Amino acid sequence: MYTLNEIIGSLTKFIGNLWQFIFQMCMSLAPVLFIPGLTFILLFVTVVIWFERKYLAHAMLRMGPVYAGRVFGWLQCIADFLKILTKEIIVPSDADKTLYYLAPILLPIVDGLAIAFIPVAPDWVIFRGFGYGLPLFLAIVSLGPLCPLIAGWAANNKYTVIGSLRAAYMCIAAEIPLLLSAAGIAILAGSFDLVDIVEAQSKMWFIIPGFLGALVFFIGILAEAERTPFDISVAEQEIVFGWRTEYSGILFMLTMMAEYISLLAWELLFITLFLGGYKGPVIFGSPFISNIAWVLIKLGILTAIIILLRTVFPRFRLDQAIKIGWRYLIPLAIANIYIAIIIKLFFPFVV
Amino acid sequence: MSEEPSKRVMRISWGPQHPMSGQIRILVDTDGERVLNIIPDLGFTHRAIEKILENRNVVQGVVPVERMVMVDTANNALAYVRAVEELLGIEPPKRAQYIRVIICEVCRILSHLYGFGLGAESGGGYPAVFLWSTADREPFLDLMERITGTRWSYSFFVPGGVYRDFPDKIKDKFLKTLSYFEKRLETYRRAWFENKIFEARAKNVGVLKPEDAIRLGAAGPSLRSSGVSLDVRKNEPYEAYDEIDFKVVTLPEGDSYARLFARYLEMVESVKIIRQAIENMPSGPYRKSVSPFKRLPKGEAYARVEAARGELGVHIISDGGFKPYRVKITSPTLRNLYVLSQLPKISDILLADLPVIMYSFDPWYLDADR
Repeated sequence: MYTLNEIIGSLTKFIGNLWQFIFQMCMSLAPVLFIPGLTFILLFVTVVIWFERKYLAHAMLRMGPVYAGRVFGWLQCIADFLKILTKEIIVPSDADKTLYYLAPILLPIVDGLAIAFIPVAPDWVIFRGFGYGLPLFLAIVSLGPLCPLIAGWAANNKYTVIGSLRAAYMCIAAEIPLLLSAAGIAILAGSFDLVDIVEAQSKMWFIIPGFLGALVFFIGILAEAERTPFDISVAEQEIVFGWRTEYSGILFMLTMMAEYISLLAWELLFITLFLGGYKGPVIFGSPFISNIAWVLIKLGILTAIIILLRTVFPRFRLDQAIKIGWRYLIPLAIANIYIAIIIKLFFPFVV
Repeated sequence: MSEEPSKRVMRISWGPQHPMSGQIRILVDTDGERVLNIIPDLGFTHRAIEKILENRNVVQGVVPVERMVMVDTANNALAYVRAVEELLGIEPPKRAQYIRVIICEVCRILSHLYGFGLGAESGGGYPAVFLWSTADREPFLDLMERITGTRWSYSFFVPGGVYRDFPDKIKDKFLKTLSYFEKRLETYRRAWFENKIFEARAKNVGVLKPEDAIRLGAAGPSLRSSGVSLDVRKNEPYEAYDEIDFKVVTLPEGDSYARLFARYLEMVESVKIIRQAIENMPSGPYRKSVSPFKRLPKGEAYARVEAARGELGVHIISDGGFKPYRVKITSPTLRNLYVLSQLPKISDILLADLPVIMYSFDPWYLDADR
């Protein structure tokens, strides 16, 4: 027979173990649930869409959202989200139904999964990818451009077909420079692990030795995330809304969200590769909070620059965009690789 | 409508349900991105204005004529009024002619600002420039309200002169608005016409050579930007234009960029014209009374003016009744649409170029349909 003391003792031990287990579970789930996981993604999408609308409105001498939410119409995106949930989903009669539903659901998932490899603090990363975070990120994200192709084909509309083919062309033109300029950074850091790449930027951000790579990568982001001046696959003035023309209700909202999630994923990778990731002086209390704050600050500045481009720039034609990709971006990215090799060989003390 | 195209060719209905088409359907045959054929399908906004004019007397007739182009009402009204005056054989007083010139040139600025904004939007991106140019129409609309009583459709020109006198006390405000507008024009040039991406989009796109422009019958700034100097204001001066010093804007290139830039330069010229007209305006009567309750003389009359979109002609036939027997209107947009439909045969066009080319012609479909 056990005595009462023993029972209580073992129970306390069990509860203690259980508590530790739950705590560990929560700690490992925290990146998934909070930053850079679900909450952060949704918050980013909401805030950036609101900011873009408000900012562009002022650039265009308008007011932008004012009614929902007392101050600056900050509730407008949530109000629009609720409204769009109540809308009917219309499927064209000739559409391939499975693919038509699949594409917009797959797209945000693919781009969201890639964010799992991004470190926002030294050991605060959802999945480190066995030390191959960079190639895994690029592999998963490159599934994304398949979705416009599926969606445009499935909707069986002339405009969507043109839009999806344009998206496919753009993907080829933009993704190769992106891969090449990322390869230059991997050489500079001597590792494919994103945490190692950030740690290698202790002396100097890679945007200085890898300036050409950063330029190529920035333009590549614009093309990859369908931002002005490369929003060719959804060109409103030419092909209505490109591959998204037939989507309505929540499916349309998913394609909209996917655009911003893919922007977020690429921006986070840009910060990690070129802007020193979470590195920065400790000015916000603890090092952990500082790390996250630096990621957010860099993200905010980068997003503001990308949105700023939308006020004044018209859109490139498809052939011009492809010409930019093959004629300028790829040679620059290759030059970036050679610069990285030279730095690694002759000036290893720099990085 | 032409016959159905072959299987390799995709026929797209570009409009009327399209963000950038306007009230028209344009059938576009494409092979991939390449445009093979452009077939404008008119008639979505046909309002039988010519028929309506047969049932109005000549004073009432000014109102429906203005409805043809709502951003350019004065020039349309002027064409009709001048045809009526020629039929009646009267000449408006000198002061009325100067007032007409001022209002017509303001209308030209208003129309070109609108067309320029749409042309900027057609290149893609976000339509910031369109809203800037719309905002810059406001000071002129306010001035027009002070002069005529309304902002858009004035019905201010009547056979024999203008409806009311020009208030001399707003001359200073007018001149101030003009100098503000000149500053804004400089902003547009820097923000848009020196924008490298816009140059890449619009230069060497939809090139119209001078001989093609004449053969196909392009009108207005679209013709002049192909290097052909034809402007009714200069070639056959009406109203007070022969006493005013201005130059006809011609550009040699003939591409979409030149067509849009020609409109910009015409706005600069219009500012000069308005300034001279305000300074040189004589005093005196502003109207000769024409009774609408008299029979029109039997005969025909034709008058043409240089509207914002090009040469606009009105032909009136009278059989001696109170109302015209027949009124025929030649509108510039219809001619420019024909040029657009023939463009794929003389130059390479991609689908992405279509909105840029179309809005470089500054079309107004209600003008083509009437």
